[in-house]
Amino acid sequence: MLARVFEASGLSSVQISLLREHTEKIRPPRALFCPFPFGLALGKPNDPEFQHRVLDHAFSLLERPSGPVLEDFPEEIVPADAPVTPAEERPPDPAFELTALRGYYDRFVAHHGRTAVGLTGVPSTRFRGLVRLLERYAAGEEIEAPTPDLSAAQYARFACDDIKAFFREARMEQYPAENGPQIDAWFWQQTAMGPMMRRVRDRMLASGDRQVEMLSYGIYREPDTPNPEWKYLTPTAVKTDGG
Amino acid sequence: MPHLKHLPDMKRNEMLTFPAQVNHDTPWTPPARPLREARLALVTSAGLHRRGDPPFVSNHHEPDYSYRRLPADTPAAEILQSHASAGFDRSGIQRDLNTTYPVDRLRELLMRGAIGSLADSFYSFMGALRNVARLEQETAPAVAELLRQDGVEVVLLTPT
Repeated sequence: MLARVFEASGLSSVQISLLREHTEKIRPPRALFCPFPFGLALGKPNDPEFQHRVLDHAFSLLERPSGPVLEDFPEEIVPADAPVTPAEERPPDPAFELTALRGYYDRFVAHHGRTAVGLTGVPSTRFRGLVRLLERYAAGEEIEAPTPDLSAAQYARFACDDIKAFFREARMEQYPAENGPQIDAWFWQQTAMGPMMRRVRDRMLASGDRQVEMLSYGIYREPDTPNPEWKYLTPTAVKTDGG
Repeated sequence: MPHLKHLPDMKRNEMLTFPAQVNHDTPWTPPARPLREARLALVTSAGLHRRGDPPFVSNHHEPDYSYRRLPADTPAAEILQSHASAGFDRSGIQRDLNTTYPVDRLRELLMRGAIGSLADSFYSFMGALRNVARLEQETAPAVAELLRQDGVEVVLLTPT
């Protein structure tokens, strides 16, 4: 949709698309459908050669005389299956577990020079406090967001996003060969933080508040979890005209 | 997303029922000159912003149709992603920003002479919006105008 607005205002555009069925409906001017999992628009992290193949193919669409152009990138990346591992004995306390992972997290940040942690604005050295906040939220207690423009649930969601980012980066440092689904499987099945965060999710999902239920869906979902938004959709609520 | 045949039914249904615009025509602006002479900007719907910028917050009452400006020379360490759903694999962008936002690749293409120049500013929007009306009518045209003021001729768009 963005591409259409840009093109209509006199710019030439080319886009990477991750969902062919939607792109067929939206009809942007030039799209390269890349059959890669969501989150991997350029295909492979730390593989400049592969990323350049994607970009070269995308930019070649600029030379087409007429459109719309929707072409498929020839290489497909199917989401990796994460092995389901038996639950081992978990550390008893998520906050203790977080402290134990700090050394790996700090090394990841030192190696990469960046971190995805930061949405709450709470420094990671203070994350034990965020863990306690989430535990209170999971237990049904009221919590307060630090600023009035954020709801408590949205703040809890950012806290989950930050802590997950911390755990994921610590794990990537410890096991560099693991892919995203494998890291997720570890987080949800073998850590103490995973089940605690799942209880945060459960409280949100049972809230009866559509917005809070949607926030929960971004935290965790089983493969057979229906999108919570579906129960709020009626045939007339599904708009296909973008309006 | 890979071809939908690889997905479990629930996931496939979610993809197919997510509201997408249906259009019957396509605006078309042919590039005025080859890419090696053109000025290019990167625009992403990955919900990226500078550390310290307000995060994107979407809800069903009001999808977050705002945008953030990202100076093209923003260091990777200063870029955060507040589109952080379990619906996609975040390990890629955590390992390498270029997985979603290929600034280093674009700089390499610039050095090779494959791109004429890069814009001073790139832009980011929130992804997975269920209603794009205000984006289409207000913020996307505003960004288009900013891009044209920057002399941009070609835009590369990336999702997450």
